[in-house]
Amino acid sequence: MKLVMRAAYAAGILATGLALSTGAVNAQTKIGALYPFSGGLALLGDESFRGLELATEERNAAGGVKGQPLQIVKGDAVDPNQAVGEARRLTSVDKVTVVFGTYSSSLSLAATQVTELAGVPYFELGAISDPITERGFKNLFRSNPTARDFAASMVDSIGEAIAPALGVDAKSLKVAIIHEDSLYGQTVAGYQTKRAQEKGVNVVETLPYSAKSVDLTPVILRLKSANVDVVLQTSYQNDTVLFFRQAKEQGFKPKAVMGAGGGYSLRETMEAVGAANMEGALNVDFTQYKTNVAAAPGITEFVAKYKAKYGIEPRSGHSLANYVGAKIFFDAMASAKDFSAPSIRESVLKVDLPVGATASGWGAKFNEAGQNTRVSPFVMQWQGGELVTVFPAKAAVTKMKTGLGSN
Amino acid sequence: MDVLIQLLINGIMLGSMYAIISVGLTLIFGVIRVVNFAHGELLMIGMYAVYLLCTKLGLHPYVAAFPVIVLLFLVGVLIQRFIIQPLLDADEHIQIFATVGLSTALVNLALMVFGADLYSVTSPDIRVTVKLGTYNVLVGQLVMLGAAVALVVGLHAFMQNTALGRAIRATAQNRNAALLMGVRVNQIYIITFGLGAACVGLASALVSPLFPATPTVGTYFVLTAFVVVVLGGMRSMYGAFWGAMIIGLVDSLSAYYIAPDLKEVVYFAIFILILIFKPTGLFGFGRGTE
Repeated sequence: MKLVMRAAYAAGILATGLALSTGAVNAQTKIGALYPFSGGLALLGDESFRGLELATEERNAAGGVKGQPLQIVKGDAVDPNQAVGEARRLTSVDKVTVVFGTYSSSLSLAATQVTELAGVPYFELGAISDPITERGFKNLFRSNPTARDFAASMVDSIGEAIAPALGVDAKSLKVAIIHEDSLYGQTVAGYQTKRAQEKGVNVVETLPYSAKSVDLTPVILRLKSANVDVVLQTSYQNDTVLFFRQAKEQGFKPKAVMGAGGGYSLRETMEAVGAANMEGALNVDFTQYKTNVAAAPGITEFVAKYKAKYGIEPRSGHSLANYVGAKIFFDAMASAKDFSAPSIRESVLKVDLPVGATASGWGAKFNEAGQNTRVSPFVMQWQGGELVTVFPAKAAVTKMKTGLGSN
Repeated sequence: MDVLIQLLINGIMLGSMYAIISVGLTLIFGVIRVVNFAHGELLMIGMYAVYLLCTKLGLHPYVAAFPVIVLLFLVGVLIQRFIIQPLLDADEHIQIFATVGLSTALVNLALMVFGADLYSVTSPDIRVTVKLGTYNVLVGQLVMLGAAVALVVGLHAFMQNTALGRAIRATAQNRNAALLMGVRVNQIYIITFGLGAACVGLASALVSPLFPATPTVGTYFVLTAFVVVVLGGMRSMYGAFWGAMIIGLVDSLSAYYIAPDLKEVVYFAIFILILIFKPTGLFGFGRGTE
């Protein structure tokens, strides 16, 4: 018995020693990946994670950060509660150097509270709610555009893209803002209204409606009676489908309709509405794949890498946004003095990439709040059943069409 | 004036959609008094079934109605037999929670099988706009109005004039007395629930071409359906029909003249007022019958 015990001890000591020595040879930098991997948000959560995974593999193939390979530790954040729990685990048990995330704004708002207190840098690559970076956090940085950027892009494109395409004065266009009335729609529409006032855009109707509406005919009749030329809609999927169908049925033909991502970006929406009826619908969102390489160098290579690893086309622009963001922050980590939070902050604030330097066309320059100020979403348009970038001119792959529906 | 008439037409069409969905609930909730919170999910099941029959077998949505009606009848029978019946003597709250649980389970099952995306039946011949002068209405909406009227008249006649209909009414009025009169109460419950669900089957075939199927589509309609049934006085088919028309018209008019996001406020305010002044609903049988 004694012999057995002694043998066991010896084995234990040996094993520990081995583990320590391999640890010394392959010092790895652990990074947390906090996304919704299960539950209702899982599809786009996983799509977002793929961008981080590709960026990490690319980095490791090139020798890692400061000569250390990166090791991803996943955290599954299904809801805000679990986001908090997983953020605690990542920072205290797994002791990750930094955390990446999160796709959803409510998850990001919850998880970043934990990492900020723990003094661990958090890199947000995809959540768009503005308040995330408006809480005075020191260790939180965001690479992607926010709801305010979406709203500004939509309002600005009336004067910069739509009016020139129609050959009219922007002031002569009657604009309506319609939106679903939950937090998402309220937020974007609020920023739109403000921006429209600043830019002197003629907003004639602002109509909130419930995303659970089974009938939007009254909304459409109001737009029709007000002779609206341009409709800005912030919507989910069901209400987008309903709007397009009922607009056609009521013979409402505005000169332009523009969505704020959401339901407008999804292929299923186009299929339910019908490619012919969706023809010409404009949309503002993260960079998608039918974008001019001149404005987004590396986008083709990204798609090739994605297809090689996962065997399918990217399912949405989320992977690209996360890939680009992760690369920016890996570079910042590499040029930091060490991996302490203050050094990383110092290094992130020094990042200076001009617009058009990354695969999503974004630049990078972070303000004191940690928000990237050189990002803006592109304007896309449904043409022939594809969502193609049409504005700004450098990113465009084709000319913007006017009107709605191909018949 | 033009807009007003278009809104009225739209309201009537919306009302007929609410009517056809609420008729089944009138049987289940109004007649046999099972508070079925999974009613909306029956509609969801029906809509997915119609979608599958249309896309996989190439059936026309209206043809798909027949198998879907049978399917939903069977689903209703199973729910009554295996979920409600064991709880029939239990507290009413237990029944409510059982159907709430069923509803949650079905929504999540649909999320698992179909995902969160919406599925739409392509039916160009149903979504054709018919011009009534300068006003627009869809073929599918006219069919729905016709079907709602036919269903309500048919069910009313069935309830009044057939032995089974009388047995259902007897069971609704007093379960024990009906039992003493030789009515097989458990069977009546099963058949009534099945019929109620079958009506939803018809509704789902008519709604599918106009409205895409999602796992949560039932929640869009279920609250309105309860309002319609209560407004109509619980057990009256005609009551449910007129209740649905009122809600449809109020919905359409208030969304235009007041604000689209306040239409629910308006019709719930009207609903509360009606309950205050006529607690048994517009077509109720007077106090004491509830």
